[in-house]
Amino acid sequence: MEEQVGQIWDRLITRIAQQGYPDAAVTLDQIKAPLGVFFRALGGDSALRVTATTATLHKARRNWLQRVAGSGRKVELAWQDETCLYLPAQLDVFPDAQLNRDLYFWLAAMAGARVPAETHRNQNWIVDNQQRTLYTLRQFRGLHQRYLSLVRAYSALRPQPEKLKPDAAAQERAIQQALTDPGSVGALPEARFAPDPVPLWLHPDPPRSAGLSNTADGQDRSASKGETRQAQQRRRQAERVEKPEDQGFTLGVRHEADLFSFGEFCKMDRGTDEEDDLDQAEDIANDIDKMSVAQDNTTVASRIKFDLDLPSEQEDDIPLSEGMLYPEWDFKKAQLLPDQCRVIPMLSRNAVDCELPEHLQKPARRLRRQFESLSARPQWIRGQYEGDKLDLDAYLDYRGAISSGGSAHAGDPRLYYQKRPLVRDMACLLLADLSLSTDAWVNDNHQVIDVIRDSVHLFAESLHASGDQFAIHGFSSRRREHVRFNCIKDFNENYNAKVRGRIADISPGFYTRMGAAIRHATDLLGKQSAEKKLLLLLTDGKPNDLDRYEGRYGVEDTRKAILEARNQGLIPFCITIDEEANQYLPYLFGHQGYTFIRQAEQLPKRLPQLYMTLTGKLFGG
Amino acid sequence: MSSVTQLDKQESLPFYEPQGDEVELFMHAYKHKLPVLIKGPTGCGKTRFISYMAEKLNLPLYTVACHDDLSASDLVGRHLIGDGATVWSDGPLTRAVREGGICYLDEVVEARKDTTVVIHPLTDDRRILPIDRTGETLHAPDNFMLVVSYNPGYQNLLKGMKPSTRQRFLSMSFDYLPAPAEVEVLLNETELDRSMAERLVVLANTLRELKDQDLEEGASTRLLVYTATLISTGFDPVKACRAGMIEPLTDDPDIVAGLMELVQAAFGSFEG
Repeated sequence: MEEQVGQIWDRLITRIAQQGYPDAAVTLDQIKAPLGVFFRALGGDSALRVTATTATLHKARRNWLQRVAGSGRKVELAWQDETCLYLPAQLDVFPDAQLNRDLYFWLAAMAGARVPAETHRNQNWIVDNQQRTLYTLRQFRGLHQRYLSLVRAYSALRPQPEKLKPDAAAQERAIQQALTDPGSVGALPEARFAPDPVPLWLHPDPPRSAGLSNTADGQDRSASKGETRQAQQRRRQAERVEKPEDQGFTLGVRHEADLFSFGEFCKMDRGTDEEDDLDQAEDIANDIDKMSVAQDNTTVASRIKFDLDLPSEQEDDIPLSEGMLYPEWDFKKAQLLPDQCRVIPMLSRNAVDCELPEHLQKPARRLRRQFESLSARPQWIRGQYEGDKLDLDAYLDYRGAISSGGSAHAGDPRLYYQKRPLVRDMACLLLADLSLSTDAWVNDNHQVIDVIRDSVHLFAESLHASGDQFAIHGFSSRRREHVRFNCIKDFNENYNAKVRGRIADISPGFYTRMGAAIRHATDLLGKQSAEKKLLLLLTDGKPNDLDRYEGRYGVEDTRKAILEARNQGLIPFCITIDEEANQYLPYLFGHQGYTFIRQAEQLPKRLPQLYMTLTGKLFGG
Repeated sequence: MSSVTQLDKQESLPFYEPQGDEVELFMHAYKHKLPVLIKGPTGCGKTRFISYMAEKLNLPLYTVACHDDLSASDLVGRHLIGDGATVWSDGPLTRAVREGGICYLDEVVEARKDTTVVIHPLTDDRRILPIDRTGETLHAPDNFMLVVSYNPGYQNLLKGMKPSTRQRFLSMSFDYLPAPAEVEVLLNETELDRSMAERLVVLANTLRELKDQDLEEGASTRLLVYTATLISTGFDPVKACRAGMIEPLTDDPDIVAGLMELVQAAFGSFEG
């Protein structure tokens, strides 16, 4: 009973204390795509993803209601780092949905503004925000009107200086002046509390995620691959801290005396994901401001090591050679680091010759028929001695030649069209991502890896029927010195039971160092003599690896590798089942260079179809 | 049939804003009988440049817009049925070789491969055009010049130029004009006032930033001129930009939505 009353009271007071207008709320998801385009067009870094930010604590004074309700401590503000542009997941600042929407675009414009470096370096945030405002307004005069209406609507929501203590009032006046007359305020007056956050500006002190970039190679990052849950991808502030000495600390005990502390220790075994109720886990994570992931080498890391250590030599696939060295692109230094990655071609040890799995027999038959007709698609050849129909042009030429006295072809004129099969000169290399993330479950019965395996099966069947040259390889990686390149079918190998066996033996493991794998695939495909060369990448996610190969670094290296492939005359194309793909794939493959398959289960069917459309385009069909 | 235009002699040179030393280079190429390849994105002024040069050099211009059905006989010529007999009719290339002038093959990579082979003997020092069908071999006169153009931006879309063909030409790259020059073009071509022209150019340059990621291609100067024409005749600027610059660039509704926000940002509060 007591508990119930408590809950009702909590709900009531939270609602009363809540500021904002939920009825007019606009969510980031609704406008993410156009917003991204807008941000990039205004000069935003095109490698950045647009994603939702987490709420951060602000130190402004709250009103008594908020204090009673315990709400209003946090605010979602916009900021960016080198991988993402973070925007509030939802905006309900204004009672008018259009204004909330405008606010999103305004924030994106502010973030995109390419303010000259010297103006914002060493300056405080209030000046920086005014500079950005001025710059954006100067560049895009059409935003004036919208900025004015935003400021007008927002000023009404700010605290009134007359009702504040003198120091706070001065501060508030400065902020309001900065909003209405950007560029006129040089510094923020001192006051006891921080001012109310300004949702029209960028975050004054964006959380730094420096602690995350773990450069020490000796420490395993417990990246929770295998976890493909996409529900609410909010940015969480994470910092790496020393593990608290006392293992017995729990949330409550540690923070009893410090209820308003900034961070809470959350001993989380990121390696195992034993939390059954993911919703609950996520709620918890959302509530915590800053998650501290302890470097717990004794438990977590050893568990991960156990999972990801390389199999012993007797168990592992057969390495075909010492491996080849490939460079890697360091976007920070803007240079190609030579011989950074070792790509080791591997051949499956346990593969057993086999036939196509039962459940694929039927679709394979249908695909084979389609592809056979593709290879045999006839073309009319003109100027033949005999054929199915008369070539009018040739006939006219013939008549012309006779009447003008010439006798060039008079004896045996070539006057007919003949129908002949079209010979396509085409080589395709399919590169499948076999990293551990493919271990995730698509639905109750299938894992991503099953889907990939089936796709590769059907793809091989189809291509075999088409008569095009093709090769199939898989890749995964464990740091730069061990990029595994699984040979499933070479270009000069026949498609047979042995190859089918290797496909059946595909299994997931390790990480996704895409750049090196693409460079090796480029080499292999480049050696083919075909007229058109297609490099198909089949993946479920982004490039990543244990070391610094993640986020921006991995994306930039992959992009470099793709550009190199393109420069060599190959046609790279990506097929993905990653829902977030439209955030980064256009940057990698160009707007037309990839396709996203919504339901992984459809991949086996869609992949061969896709190949057909793609090559149809190649050959102008 | 290919489209062939021969420009009428005009009183004055057509308006052309040089980007660099391309005029001089072209003159030299003409003097030394060298074929020229012009690369550049769609609508950046390649065709305008050729018209300008043809006028300047006082040469007839034969423009062929290449497409994937363009056959060798479309270029060289064919027999036509006449009154009870067949008559040979020269194609644009043959006519240019016979009479002298510039033969301009626009977007040459669009043409079928067997088509481009017929220009090979014209591009080396022999400068000949063999016509199998009539048994003739034409020698190009001194005032014949072969010019081809293509858009390398399309290359990744599966069409490229064979290196063996590419290496037969002097090449020059064109790009969109720098902003001040592009404003001048708009002022010259349309009745638009300067501040609007400047806004349009800023907008176009932001659109060009999106090339290869959200857009296949940036907005061309040609589209800018179209849009400017609409605006200068009293059409609402935002709607004009939609029709002239946004819709022609993409079919993706999300991208259109994002770009329209951009247009709003550039023209939203346009008053007067």
